[in-house]
Amino acid sequence: MAEAPHKYLHAFIAEATEHLEQLASELVRIEQEPPGGPLWDSIFRRVHSVKGSAATIGLKTIVDIAHVAETLIAKLKAQRRRPERMQVDLLLQATDALVREVQHASGGERAKEDRADTGTLVERLSVASSALPDAAPAPAARPAKKVEADPNLPRLDVTFSLIKACQAPGARALIVQRKLKSAGTLLEMEPQPGSLMQKKGGARVTAVLATARSVDEVRALFDGIPEVEGVAVRPSPPANAPPPEPAAALSARTLTTFPEGAPLEEPRADATVRVRAQALDQLLDQAAEVLHGIARMREAARHLPEKVAAQFEAEIDRLRRTARDLHGRVMNARLTPFYTLTERLPRAIRDLAHRLGKEVELEVQGGAVELDRTVIEALADPLTHLVRNAVDHGLETGAQRLAVGKSGRGLLVLSARRERDKVLVEVSDDGAGFDAARLRRRAIDMGLLSSEKVAELSEQQSYELAFLPGLSTRAEATDLSGRGVGLDAVKSAVEGLGGKISLRSAAGKGSRFTLELPLSVSMANLLLVQVGGEMYGLPMTRIVATTEYDLSARGGEGFEARSLAVMGQLVRAYSLAKLFGLPSLAPPGPRPFAVLEVDGITFALSVDRLVGQEEAVLKPLFPPLDRIRGLAGTTVLGNGRPLLVLDPRGLHELAEVGQRLRGAA
Amino acid sequence: MPQRRVLIVDDALFMRNTLRDIFTTAGFAVAGEADDGVQAVNLFRELKPDLVTMDIVMPYKSGIDATREIVQHDPGAVVIMCSALGQESLVMEAIEAGATDFIVKPFRGEDVLAVVKKVLGE
Repeated sequence: MAEAPHKYLHAFIAEATEHLEQLASELVRIEQEPPGGPLWDSIFRRVHSVKGSAATIGLKTIVDIAHVAETLIAKLKAQRRRPERMQVDLLLQATDALVREVQHASGGERAKEDRADTGTLVERLSVASSALPDAAPAPAARPAKKVEADPNLPRLDVTFSLIKACQAPGARALIVQRKLKSAGTLLEMEPQPGSLMQKKGGARVTAVLATARSVDEVRALFDGIPEVEGVAVRPSPPANAPPPEPAAALSARTLTTFPEGAPLEEPRADATVRVRAQALDQLLDQAAEVLHGIARMREAARHLPEKVAAQFEAEIDRLRRTARDLHGRVMNARLTPFYTLTERLPRAIRDLAHRLGKEVELEVQGGAVELDRTVIEALADPLTHLVRNAVDHGLETGAQRLAVGKSGRGLLVLSARRERDKVLVEVSDDGAGFDAARLRRRAIDMGLLSSEKVAELSEQQSYELAFLPGLSTRAEATDLSGRGVGLDAVKSAVEGLGGKISLRSAAGKGSRFTLELPLSVSMANLLLVQVGGEMYGLPMTRIVATTEYDLSARGGEGFEARSLAVMGQLVRAYSLAKLFGLPSLAPPGPRPFAVLEVDGITFALSVDRLVGQEEAVLKPLFPPLDRIRGLAGTTVLGNGRPLLVLDPRGLHELAEVGQRLRGAA
Repeated sequence: MPQRRVLIVDDALFMRNTLRDIFTTAGFAVAGEADDGVQAVNLFRELKPDLVTMDIVMPYKSGIDATREIVQHDPGAVVIMCSALGQESLVMEAIEAGATDFIVKPFRGEDVLAVVKKVLGE
């Protein structure tokens, strides 16, 4: 990436060169100097100065070397002994490396081996300095002195957060502490500034101030302090006030455990506020709007003259990072715990089990694991379906269970756990399990798979047949788990969220559905395609490749469904225009195809034009569009135009149905 | 509002140039520049700037000592420390010596101005 050199690069090079020349001669002299003498100050200052300026220009290698060298120098200076020869040698090598890097920054060539040498040098410098005791041992946390204040003065509870980007939280908290002390007697502050040192990533601080000033006056103290957010000031409750009511307990039957990685924060009444869900949705929409606006500005910047474009784009990129950060924060604020989905279930399960004459115990694990509200909402029906299915078909009656040596009461476990950027939700039961042989038979009977294909399936693969459309739908469906709603519907709901579902089962022992879900569904990377004058988006996660093919050479434009060779594999090709009943406006000749993969099946869609890629914020479909197969959602493009986002699975089904109909005709 | 006057203190010409650009572009007047702590205290008394940006590690007199003297001379002085990563304990020392606020290198123009404007109540 060619960046314009920093305006004052020449000043930096001149200064750094001078510092480094002096540094080399001072290092040579240091062995003769008395320990801890003033020469050390000068040595430290030179390295420090080079580091600070280099950091401002963004010369990372120089910063890296200077930083470890500076640490070693500070420790050598503090130990008040003559340095060892090896230590001085290392510092001289660091000086040489810095000189080379500065020369490189001024346009000089850098030898290939230098980069590797730098890594080793940095490593050796840090080893040498970690062998020495700390220059200034961290000040022992002073025991919090019991501060007394006039008992008649009102007490105010003050809470605030240091923003995540705060580089020096200890110093920032110290500034707040000083401000608070200027307004009264600071009785408590937790954590203390000293213990926040070098603790990056934001922190919540609470304090108690005895003061005659009003709440508003104390809040106004924060006006001139940067990097502080979420300031709350309120009168302290009297010491003998009753404790706040505990959060409504979950149903006694519901065991809620919190696995590692999903710690439940100590609920603190003052640390949260209730926000209407709708307000969060609006915030998210607006954050998305900002992102769109920025995308539009990027688009517009293409027409700027080259000179200004680079700077403008750099500014836009910075703005985009902030906007994405904002979007991420709003997404985080929308996170909803898993238990909101499961809290209604114990009652529903109990009722259903009673009607069926069964006894079922429900166990919920990971209730505190959080997912985006959209995911939670979309998950309600599939999860209810799986649970009902398990009670209705999976778990046996008490008598049947006792007969095979199980306990009379069936166990149904719902669990959620976080794995990196995914949440795994499992629904498992200790019932009869799926009947693999029966699933295979049905697949053949219904013409979904050939008997040869079925014979090749392993036991576990046979269980996956349950997700095929129509296969798990019971002809004699009970009114309990619903007619016509099969596991295929559950699967498509999960996939509609960008997730995956799998089934493990063992005859007589039970079954387990695993839903792998994204934390949030709203950002998607789209391939933009044009068909019949309309633009559509295809989720990039499903795109295997794009290709071009000249169909006219193989029998004209009027194809219905054909096969294409893609990466050595023959795949079905469909026309997106035909699927949607649109005219194809592509000129004759080679035509672009998007190759997609769904459920292990690869297929190609012909389009008129491949337009490009865009990251977009997805919004759910509104009625009646939500009934149209093949659509996944809507979004607004950078240029402000609305766009329909397609659902590859639905498209494939649509194409298959069309083909079967034609086959039957 | 009258133009705000800044005294820039840093031993590196490069940093002074960079800060001067940031301030003049934002409509501040650079009242003076000092490249060590002794000069900083002298220039502060002479120029009475609205704002001082103060490097920490400097020859002759450190930014912390210079800040202490400046604040003793004028308790209302607004001194913003320019520190580098890993200098948090020095920054805290400077705050106890009376520094108003701080910025951490590497900084961007908008970071500096955000802190300055916040501190000046603009």
